[in-house]
Amino acid sequence: MAIVNLQNVTYRYPLTDESVLKNINLQVDEGEFLAVIGPNGSGKSTLCYTLAGFVPHFFKGEISGSVEVAGLESSASTLDEWVMNVGLAFQNPFNQISGAKFTVFEEIAFGLENIGVPREEMKPRVEDAMKLTGITDLADRSPYSLSGGQQQRVALTSILVMQPKVLVLDEPTSQLDPIGTREVFGVIRTLAEKGMTVILAEHKVEWIANFADRVIALHEGQIILDGLPGEVLTSDILLEKGFGISRYTSVARKARAIGLWKNSNLPVTLDEAVDGFKR
Amino acid sequence: MQERLSFYKKRESAVHRLNPLSKLTLALGIVFVSFLSPYYWTPHLLILFAVIPLSLLGKVLREYINAMLRLILPTAGFLFIMQALFQPLEGVELFRFGFLHPTQESVLFAFANATRIVVMVSSFTIFLLTTHPNELMTDLTRRGLPGQFAYVIISTLQIIPQMQAKAQTIIAAQRSRGLDTESTFFKRAGSLIPLVGPLVFGSLVEVEERAIAIEARGFTSTRVKTSLNSIPDTNKDKLIRWSLIVIIIVTLASRIWLS
Repeated sequence: MAIVNLQNVTYRYPLTDESVLKNINLQVDEGEFLAVIGPNGSGKSTLCYTLAGFVPHFFKGEISGSVEVAGLESSASTLDEWVMNVGLAFQNPFNQISGAKFTVFEEIAFGLENIGVPREEMKPRVEDAMKLTGITDLADRSPYSLSGGQQQRVALTSILVMQPKVLVLDEPTSQLDPIGTREVFGVIRTLAEKGMTVILAEHKVEWIANFADRVIALHEGQIILDGLPGEVLTSDILLEKGFGISRYTSVARKARAIGLWKNSNLPVTLDEAVDGFKR
Repeated sequence: MQERLSFYKKRESAVHRLNPLSKLTLALGIVFVSFLSPYYWTPHLLILFAVIPLSLLGKVLREYINAMLRLILPTAGFLFIMQALFQPLEGVELFRFGFLHPTQESVLFAFANATRIVVMVSSFTIFLLTTHPNELMTDLTRRGLPGQFAYVIISTLQIIPQMQAKAQTIIAAQRSRGLDTESTFFKRAGSLIPLVGPLVFGSLVEVEERAIAIEARGFTSTRVKTSLNSIPDTNKDKLIRWSLIVIIIVTLASRIWLS
């Protein structure tokens, strides 16, 4: 069953002339893991904001078409209802720390306080969420004393604790070092395995290939590719349009030109490349 | 890097255990009495019999004395000298030095004012030393203070040190490109301009992101907010608050009546 349903969505930010999203049609099934790739300015973030209800409820601007996520219809609901059902985390971990709390535990409980969860229920929910993302040992630290990867995991936990039906992640690792990236993807993998509906905008294609069920490619506000990771991430169209592609795909493509790559499919990850060259 | 801007000292004491509103009332009560009382010796009594015992009870005497010597006394001393010399009050002239001719009245007036300032800053120092800002705001929010207001206060405490750190980074970055930060005053003042741009505009962008982040966590939700920590509010607290209100009213009445 589709939990996300976008029909002919076109959106323009206020005070601008050009549409950032053009005629987007997108269905995502419950429990599906969808990755969104696209160069900077392709509309990835705007798509994320649209799915999370911030377009148009926070950013205003002009939207046409219909947006339906987790049973909510964009034009007939408030941002308040959206945040109860759709979680959003984004790039800069530092800016996602509320600044209103002095410990990680309180920081994670902030969202629950705002939506009026009773105190008895709050503690176990925070503890469970922290266990899920593996940050139980950070509970008493100040959110500002943490590394980027830890802060981003706190930000993710703060969203997860609100038990959203759909999780939207806008390049959650783009400002992190490799260790932080691995930590955050570890959490995302756990969520995917638990069957959460995740929509992830991301540049790091090798990671996407590892656990996305499906990939869409955005270019100038339009979906130009939609399919399985292995197909989309190795498509020649990505090269033409200036997308970032995996180094293993590049190597195999060069190898194929001189007859060293004999498979019909190109690899995205190291393992696939090693397998392909062995044959 | 300093983590946050707060005077709070975590201790186990009777004062720490009081409800934050009781402590706020206590601090305000001491200030009111010292300012409203017509007697010049009231502030001394308050320091001796209210401020110092409270700092002992709250186990923050050392921090208090520290603040007293470093901040409160120098400020009050300066205030006293300025007012004693320049307050043009008619009365018995003490001495004449050039255009300065302080009178006995102006010295007494300055002394009373300076001691009141000492009491005011002291009582708030003890309040801040023994009250966690988060507890205060949680308690006030529970009593009807708008959540947005509490957020502004608390986040400022945390974000100012962060902005200082960022300003340092920008200064370092600009200096590495040849910005002059060590020569004459005017050159240095001029060199502030390339600092202000990135700091202000960078912060504005951050404000939008932070707004989205807290919005995503239901900040402006219309539901009734709850809080993770319960703040104790005992009968003792209520008694303290009511007696303080009575004391303030009595002082106010005596002031109107006596003068």
